Formats: sequence, structure tokens, C-alpha cells
Amino acid sequence: MMNAQFLFLILLFPLLGGVTNAVLGMRLPRRVSTSLALASVLLSAGTTLVLWPLAQGTGARATLFTWLSSGDLRVPVEILFDPLSASMCLMVTLVSSLIHLYGLGYMKEEGDYARFFALLNLFVFAMLCILLADNLLLLFLGWEGVGFCSYALIGYWYGEEKNALAGRKAFLVTRVADVFLALALLLAYKLTGTLSISALNEQAPGLAPAMVTLMGILLLLGACGKSAQLPFMTWLPDAMAGPTPVSALIHAATMVTAGVYLLCRLFPLVSLSETALAAVALVGAATAFYAATCALAQKEIKRVLAYSTMSQVGYMFLAVGAGSVSGALFHLLTHAFFKALLFMGAGCIIHLAARENDIHRMGGLARRSPAVFYLFLAGILCLAGAPLTGGFFSKDAILLATFLHQGALYKALWGLGVLTALLTALYSFRLLYLVFAGESRGEVSRHGLPPTMLYTLPPLALAGLFGGLLNLPAFWGGGERLGSYLGTLSGISHPADHRVEMLLIGVAVAVFFAGWLLAQRRYRRYSPTLQAEGTGFLLKGWGADWLVARMVLGPFRAFAEGCWRQGDLRIIEGLLGAAARGCQGCGELFRRMTTGRLSTYLDSFAWGLLLVLGWFIFSRI
Amino acid sequence: MIVPFGHVLAFSAAMFLMGLACVLARRNIIMILIGVEIMLNAVGLTLVGASALWQDLDGQIFVLFIMAMTSAEVSISLALVVYLRRRKGTLTADAFDGMKG
Repeated sequence: MMNAQFLFLILLFPLLGGVTNAVLGMRLPRRVSTSLALASVLLSAGTTLVLWPLAQGTGARATLFTWLSSGDLRVPVEILFDPLSASMCLMVTLVSSLIHLYGLGYMKEEGDYARFFALLNLFVFAMLCILLADNLLLLFLGWEGVGFCSYALIGYWYGEEKNALAGRKAFLVTRVADVFLALALLLAYKLTGTLSISALNEQAPGLAPAMVTLMGILLLLGACGKSAQLPFMTWLPDAMAGPTPVSALIHAATMVTAGVYLLCRLFPLVSLSETALAAVALVGAATAFYAATCALAQKEIKRVLAYSTMSQVGYMFLAVGAGSVSGALFHLLTHAFFKALLFMGAGCIIHLAARENDIHRMGGLARRSPAVFYLFLAGILCLAGAPLTGGFFSKDAILLATFLHQGALYKALWGLGVLTALLTALYSFRLLYLVFAGESRGEVSRHGLPPTMLYTLPPLALAGLFGGLLNLPAFWGGGERLGSYLGTLSGISHPADHRVEMLLIGVAVAVFFAGWLLAQRRYRRYSPTLQAEGTGFLLKGWGADWLVARMVLGPFRAFAEGCWRQGDLRIIEGLLGAAARGCQGCGELFRRMTTGRLSTYLDSFAWGLLLVLGWFIFSRI
Repeated sequence: MIVPFGHVLAFSAAMFLMGLACVLARRNIIMILIGVEIMLNAVGLTLVGASALWQDLDGQIFVLFIMAMTSAEVSISLALVVYLRRRKGTLTADAFDGMKG
């Protein structure tokens, strides 16, 4: 009855929906086209739910066909449905269903809906490919697929050059990181002769430690690109040029977590190298801190959320680095819920504020739309880590795992994590106060919200607020359900002393309230001086774009120009020019021989005759 | 054969060279044409001589063909000469250098 082959249906539905919309979309009536997109994702979510029991224990695997076969290399299209991929799948399909529903309302006035929904569906397909793949090459296919779809979706309004550039930037920056993932794939094949993830994880203990470290670092760099971690983070804030559902889908719930998922999936391999784990944790904590400081100064509502996404994904990396896959996955799930909520709430806010993005020109929205306010508040509370919300438990689990990990480095990273938590609370409430408190400082739209936009938010708010129940720690009377569900996949866990746990909870609560109070003192009443705060270093993301332009693009451009001037103009064109000039000179020489006078020709005949005769005579001798 | 073949060859070579000298030295188109005819006939004489030497009729038949062709060629070239004279009013060969590169 429960055939593992049915698992391919999870992938099939979004693919079918996407292809149908891409091919026929504009010929179908709008209602059919959009419902098709929504239905395909809903069906996929339903299939995941129905097949959920298959994921018990070591999970179920199914092979569709052999994709590539060359020499020793065999790449079957093989999927693995274990607790890790199943829970991710469920989250992705459910959140995308809500986002599709929201998209119906959001794109109501957009003419080019078929392209949007086709890309959205294909994106979900590619993402599910990453999640379900048991083969690194299939995972890589999905990996590139989400890269392409995000490029096309960020540049959805390509009529404005800014948006097209943002899409291109996202594509190129993630592509650079993908090179490292490709290298990791090649290295894996070279070392083990297989690309199967399960086989790789099994064979990992037999590999040379240096190779495992190298592999871990390459995987980390690959993961950094999609997950917008240092140093490949510059694309994410610009990616906010896309439509809001895209931001919610790609940059909150799914794509940016692909890197975390990759590291979780290959955790048995990565965890063999202490160095690689430390690098993962370091990158995560550094990004979390960096992005939180940047979020403090941003002016555009979606950029604040983008930086906060980056920061939260940094926490997930920190969790993986601390060996807690369950912690990473826990935070990933709660974050997906509340960040999708925040992004879609931001879409509502922008809608209500007459397409205004600048939070300094908003304000007073709480009175105008209490529903949006309370829903957004729920998201903010989760993000800031208010006690008893989902975000609180998941962040706490990460900080606890980091604190308990051996080594001074991890203690320092824990400190950085706590500091970041303080900043998170501060910028979250700054956003809340600037947008909702006081009087309106800008235009207000007369239009209400489409119901599909508003009513998709409450389920996410509930999931975010009560997300803690997924993995309630024993300390709170829970059973760590996610951790025990993941079983052997949940990584390294350290026994925690109750006093230490209590202490950390105390710190987390104190940090939350400190951040809140700071934000309240500074942002409760709006003053125009606040506008000046966001002009400098932090607004520009520590000048990362400038740095990239100076360190990478500048030299590259200089190199390219050198190639152009020296190689192309001087050598290649020089050679061609010399050849052409030589031909011309010869032509000039021969031209002079063509006098047009009969006597010259006759003379040359005679001389020719003489030559031929001479040749005859002398060849005889 | 009454006349030794060496004499025939020497005579036709002399005739060929005289024709060639005429072609190269003269500037008048008609004179050049006459030179060409002389050269042709020198070649014909060689063919006839060789035909007599080897007792083979091919050479003589060949000469007959050359004569027929020559008459056709002369009629065309004289027509051209008339045309050229009409165009430039002169028959100096070097006046017609329209193909100068």
C-alpha cells in the first residue's frame, strides 16, 4: 500500500504545475492558471503528509531510474525520505502553499502571472529536489535549479534595471560559491567513488582526516553562497527587489536554509573534522553578528528582514558547528514560520503604506490595521526571542549547545551569540516601533488588503508562536520531540546541567528585555533625528559591497581590461592587422605590375618563354 | 625526305624569332597581329616538317586546323582593330591601358 515510489509524487506535482504554467500559462484563464499553481503545491504537501509514516527510523528510499552511467560512476535518481528530509519537506511544502495563496492576492494586479507562478512552482520543485536527493548530483541539480529560479524571480520586474541587476548579482554571487560545492562533489567522487549521500556518510570515517577537513570546508563554502553567509552574503539584501512572496519563499523559508540543510545532511562527514565544525560555527556566529548590526541601521523594511534572515541563518550554522543538528533544524523550522510571517506581513504593510518601503516614512499603522499589527507583533516576538515563543526555544537550544561544546572558541562564539540576541531584540523592536507606533509620517493607501493576503498570516503566526512545542526541552517539561524523532541524525548532544540551563535561560530572557527596553527608549517616540542614524557604515552593510568591488571586481576588471588591451587589441588584433597590412603591401606591389599596357604583357610573355626554355635546356644538362 | 629536318627546324626557329621580335618591337596593333601570324606559321612549318619526318599525317592535319582557326581569329581581330581605331583614333597598342591597376 505505502509504496516508496509514491515519494516521487512529491516532486512530480510542482514540476507538472510549473511546466504547465510555463508552457500554457498565458493561454489558460487566470483562475485556472493560478489555481493550478496552488493546487500542485497543496498536492505535494498532502502527499508528504500521507507518506509521513515512511520516514520512520532510517527512512525509505526509492530509485526512479539511472540518470548517468559512465565508467564507475553511476548516478541514479534516488531519493531518501528520512526524518530529516521529511520534516524539511513538510515545512517547505506547507509554507510554500501559504506563500502561493498569499501570492494570489499579492499578484492580483500583475499581468504576467503565469511566469510568476511557473517560476514559483519550479522553485518548489528544485528545493524539494535538494531535500529529497540521496545523490549529490541530484542535489546539485536542485541546487542550481533554485539558483536559477531565484535569479528569475528576483528580477521578476525586470523592466527596472535595478531589479534585473539584483537578480544578476544574486545569481553570480551564489554561482561563485557553487563552484566550491562542485569541487566538493568532485573530491567526494575522487575519494570514495560514489556520489550517494548515504554511502558517503558511511564511508566518511575511513577517509584521511585532512581530506575530511578539506571536504568540510568546501561544503561550508558551497553552503555559504545559498545561505548568504560571510563572505557570500552581499546578494541577499539586494534580492529584496523581487516581489514580496518571493522574498518570503526564497529568502526566508527555503532557499537560504538549503546551505544549513546540506551541512545537516552531510553532518556525519563534516562532524568528523573538528576544524571544519569550528569553521562552520565561526562563520555562523560572525554572520549572525554582522547581519544583526547591519539590520540596526537599515531604512527599508524588507532589507531589515533580509539582514535578520542572514543573522538567523548564521545561528543555524552556529548550531551545526556546535554539533547540534536538531538545534539547527529546530531553529530552521521556527524561523521559516516566523520569517515567512514577517515577510508577508511586510508585504501587507507596504501595501497599506501605498508602496512605501522606507520605515522612516511609515508609522501609525497599528491604529490603521490592528490585525496586521498583532500578526506582525507575533513574528517580531518570535524573532526577538520573547520567552515562550518558538524563536526563544530554538535560539536557546542553539546557544546552549554552543555553550556546552568544548573549547574556548565556542565560549567566545556563545558570547557573540548572546550579543547578537541582544541586537536582534533591539532591531526587531526598532522595526516594530517605527512602523506601527505613533502617527503616520507618510501617505496611507485607501485600499484594503486582499483577504488571501491577510488570512494566510494567522496559521504562520500560530506555528511561529507555538513552534517551541516541536522540540520543547526536558527542562520545560517537554520531550525534545524533534531531537528524538531525528534519532541518530540529530548530531552530538551534551548532557546539560540544570543550573547551567537555568542560567542560560536567565541570560536569554534578560537579553530580550534589555533589547526591548533599549528600543522602547529610543524609538517609541519618533524624532526626525532618527533619520540621520542610518546613513553610514552599518546601512551599507559594513561597506561589504564596496569591499567586494575593491577587492574582487576591481582587480578582475583591471585584469579583464588588461586582457582586452594587451591580449585582444595588441596581440590578436595586432597579428591580424599585420597580416592584413602584409597582404595589402603585396597587393600594392603587384598592382604596379598591372600597367594595362599590351607591350608590358607581351614583354613578360617573352621573358617567361625564355625562362621556360632555359629551364628545359638546363634541366637536360 | 629531301630537306633535312635540321634545316626545317632552324628555319622555323628563325621565323618564330622574327615574329616574336615583330610582336615585341612594334607598337602598331596590326603589326603585332602580323607578328603573331608569323609565329603561328613558324610553328605550323615545324609540324609539317615533323609529319614528313615520321611519315605521319597527324601533323599536317593539325596544320590545316590551325589555318582554319587562324582565318577565324584574324577576322575577329581585324574587326576589333577597326573598333579600337574608331574609339581612340589611333592604333598604338599602349594607348589602350584602361585595365591599369
